Amino acid sequence: MADNHADFIVLGAGPGGYACAFRAADLGRKVVLVDPRATLGGVCLNEGCIPSKALLHAAQVLREARHGSDWGLDFGTAKVDLDALRAKKNGIVGQLTSGLSALSKRRKVQVVRGSARFVDAQTLEIDGQTWSFEHAVIAVGSAPIQLPGWPEDKRIWDSTAALELRSIPKRLAIVGGGIIGLEMATVYAALGSEVTVIELADQIAPGADAEAVGILHAALAQEGITLHTSTKTARVEAAKSGLTLHCEGAFSGALKADAIIQAVGRRSNAAGVAPEAAGIAVSERGIIEVDRSCQTSVPGIFAIGDVTGNPMLAHRATHQGHVAAEVASGHAAALDTDLIPSVAYTAPELAWVGLTAAQAKAQGIAHKVTSFPWAASGRNLASGGDDGLTKLVYCPDTQRLLGASLVGNNAGELLAEATLAIEMGATLQDLALSVHAHPTLSETLAFAAERALGTLTDL
Amino acid sequence: MTNLVASPSVRAQAREQGIDLAALADKLGRSHLTHDDLKQPSGAGATEATSAIAATDDGARYWDIDHSQYGPVHSEPTSRFSQVAAQNLGAANRLIPQVTHHDRADVSALERFRAELKPEAKARGIKLTALAFQAKALAVALRAFPKFNASLSSDGKTLTFKEFVHIGIAVDTPHGLMVPAVRDVDRKGLWQIASEIADLAARAQERKVSPEEMGGASMTITNLGGIGGSAFTPIVNPPEVAILGITKAELTPVWDGNAFQPVPMLPLDLSYDHRVINGAEAARFMVHFVGLLADPRRMMI
Repeated sequence: MADNHADFIVLGAGPGGYACAFRAADLGRKVVLVDPRATLGGVCLNEGCIPSKALLHAAQVLREARHGSDWGLDFGTAKVDLDALRAKKNGIVGQLTSGLSALSKRRKVQVVRGSARFVDAQTLEIDGQTWSFEHAVIAVGSAPIQLPGWPEDKRIWDSTAALELRSIPKRLAIVGGGIIGLEMATVYAALGSEVTVIELADQIAPGADAEAVGILHAALAQEGITLHTSTKTARVEAAKSGLTLHCEGAFSGALKADAIIQAVGRRSNAAGVAPEAAGIAVSERGIIEVDRSCQTSVPGIFAIGDVTGNPMLAHRATHQGHVAAEVASGHAAALDTDLIPSVAYTAPELAWVGLTAAQAKAQGIAHKVTSFPWAASGRNLASGGDDGLTKLVYCPDTQRLLGASLVGNNAGELLAEATLAIEMGATLQDLALSVHAHPTLSETLAFAAERALGTLTDL
Repeated sequence: MTNLVASPSVRAQAREQGIDLAALADKLGRSHLTHDDLKQPSGAGATEATSAIAATDDGARYWDIDHSQYGPVHSEPTSRFSQVAAQNLGAANRLIPQVTHHDRADVSALERFRAELKPEAKARGIKLTALAFQAKALAVALRAFPKFNASLSSDGKTLTFKEFVHIGIAVDTPHGLMVPAVRDVDRKGLWQIASEIADLAARAQERKVSPEEMGGASMTITNLGGIGGSAFTPIVNPPEVAILGITKAELTPVWDGNAFQPVPMLPLDLSYDHRVINGAEAARFMVHFVGLLADPRRMMI
């Protein structure tokens, strides 16, 4: 007999885990939520999405203050009080995590602080105590990948360390030009660092539409960020005077830095729960295999979020969390979509969902492309926006929307319309005939559709 | 990308109902599916729609509850036999619009006749039950009312009349309900009918009735008279169009014009498929059948 029994136990209190726990509680289950952190919310809330957005907001205010003179506004030279900024960021995180605590109390979710591992398919062990369970959900997330062969050095940060805002390095190198690397570049460039980004692929934000990425690339360069694509970091040397990166590829040579952020991706934390002890099928990269109902190979055990592989995004985990709770409680639910939106909260933002033109071409899917440049958007120019683009991929036969890529201020917020349109099977005409308020950035979606239909009068 | 268009809420609803949207779109010849399409999965005849819903709704929301929250319980698996029976009964009740017609037969003459035959029955080693008379009377009635000895096609467009009269006998066994059929009852004598019923019933108790011995009945009799009860509403056993329920005969005061006489009255309950048989036909059939039981000599006419 186990020491304890849980009707429904969730391992990990990140955005997937707590959503799953709360949904299960709302469905009448008695829920136990296990997490080693002192606060709920996982990486997303404590050292990911939310703190990074707080810093990106500060960066945005700084940039606008600096560009104030363009509008005849002089704020003088902005000064950054790093301690106050860190405290503000931590305050926001604290407000949200304590809110989550209150929500879990209201739902009578039992929160257990600790790390769980499977003993067998029916038993978990949490800090020396054994637990039997009716249903278990693995939601232990992911951690930044540590590149092998690098020296141990306090000046080499992962994304968690970067968000701690330890200092503003004079020269900052960021290895990895994906979403996390580019967001960190945006923050630290605004705070005053000389930032260099090194990306192995032939473009930053690999996987995103090349044309949209080109606009982001130019905007980041304009802000003083150096971007080296098709470049490999072969070796890193740590000396008292500074760090040196030896690069190969399109940029070849030595790069001096006072700090380096490693942002080359994240790796599943699945190994920590010993899934093999329960007989759960795991791929070689530690990804737990699940079906659309989030069920693992072992009945009664579910897995959601980053441990189930790419895309490792909070909103995917949240939806999977609801699915797992519902399926375990007797409902026929599934993550019945491939549409997981991606947003880089850079300046300008880059956001995309569905098929890019390159993906459609690679998969042999008939498609056409239409777009609207934000240089022709009154709202964009009047709001101090620079170059931007709304680009739509659609089916030439049915005119149905297949994908959207947006780059520009608030592109992340605008993306939701495209996601809904694709989910609903909307055509270009559906987009064009839906009245969009003027002047808004959202008009660019309708304009792009009208352009393809030949009804556009704004270009 | 498929060409199928269904909004997220339509997809979720279809999943809950166990409906394959791609197959439904195919069937309807459309690429756009809405919530309305899920309400009428077949989009065609009522029978088809009913069966589609029946196939997809497992009723989990009604029965999947934790009974132990109300008091101690224990569970046992149901037998394969009873699972099949449950499926058949459920389908019959869902698919057939049924009406039950009640009547009573004066069986004093029949019981007198049966009592007179007792010594002979003893000599023959056959138990001449009331059920044998009832089966014989039903067979004769079915000859007079061919529509009651018929089956409807699944599309409801054809009625097949049977030129044989086999009577199904519902038998209560330890493993569940079995319905073997006595063949050509209209052409057999009472002694043979009685012995065949006894043989089938005995073998049914040991599950030694072959599947061939169970199919093809014209109509089924379910007789609870040996146990008790005054009336019930049996469920038609498809593809038959009617079933006759019988309970225990009771001495009833009947006015003979001068005084009340104690008369053994046998309660009869005929459930029928209203798609095939209308109420007046059922009443006429029962009047005829009651007449045969009240005066067994009429079976010869």
